[in-house]
Amino acid sequence: MTSPTPTPTQTVQAFLDALTRHDIDGAMALVHPQVAVTVHPFGLQESGTDVLRTVLADLVRAFPDLVIGVSRVITTGDVVTALFKAEGTQAASYAGAINQEKHLDIDQAWRFVTGGGLITGVDAYWCQAQLYRRLAVKRYDEISIA
Amino acid sequence: MTETTQRPRTAESSAAVVTEFFDRYRAHDVDGMTELCSVNADFSYVPVELWGKQRVLRGDGKVGTVGKPLWTGLIASFPNLSNTVHSITSNDDGDVVAQVDIEGTQQLPWGLIAPAGRHYREPHLFIFHVAPDLLIDGITAYWNDAAINQQLGHNEVD
Repeated sequence: MTSPTPTPTQTVQAFLDALTRHDIDGAMALVHPQVAVTVHPFGLQESGTDVLRTVLADLVRAFPDLVIGVSRVITTGDVVTALFKAEGTQAASYAGAINQEKHLDIDQAWRFVTGGGLITGVDAYWCQAQLYRRLAVKRYDEISIA
Repeated sequence: MTETTQRPRTAESSAAVVTEFFDRYRAHDVDGMTELCSVNADFSYVPVELWGKQRVLRGDGKVGTVGKPLWTGLIASFPNLSNTVHSITSNDDGDVVAQVDIEGTQQLPWGLIAPAGRHYREPHLFIFHVAPDLLIDGITAYWNDAAINQQLGHNEVD
């Protein structure tokens, strides 16, 4: 007997739960191999699991005490939008910003498209100005200079 | 006795309200945008955050007291302000999620950004809630303000 296909909400909730546990493999197990990935703050628009895996792994590597606090999960058909706050203390360079051991708290919105129990598309939104402000970056054209 | 007919709130009718909202925004009809919202509609423009020496100002509050002044000021600073709606998804509970590009050419100061006649275009994600009376009672928006600053030639992280 086969288990029923998870709902869009269940699929995304499982992804978020895995990310909360820093379980990148667990999160990526819920992603379609040809997932469309757009990370607006990075100007990134590609497809495939490698790029999303890198985005998640970089975040966990740079902020080892990362906490993902989900405030809302909104399901509109096959689209699930998650609103959450990412918090952590910088322990390695991130997005070009050198490590100054600053604390980060950034509100984000991730819009997931689902199909067949997998995530087939991700659009991530957050404000890089808020991120750089918290990491003590002074200029956008000199991000790695503290 | 006058009998009024009220459309029921469905995914479709909620999406139509939001479509009308962006039509009015494109027409710079701020009063019309506000009329689509309940009198105490919640408002949160998450990236709006100004750090001062003794305070931090945020774009949180109500449509009438925070949203309307922000929309009015944005249109004044970017007289050709426009929007392109890429997707709208909704459900029967009144939740509406819209992917929208906002763009404009700066003619007046905006926040700490001096006008240099530059143009910006930036993807935004809007999350609306439409109440059973088909008035918007919540607006939240996310975007990357760093990209707007850079497009306008402002490289300081304020």
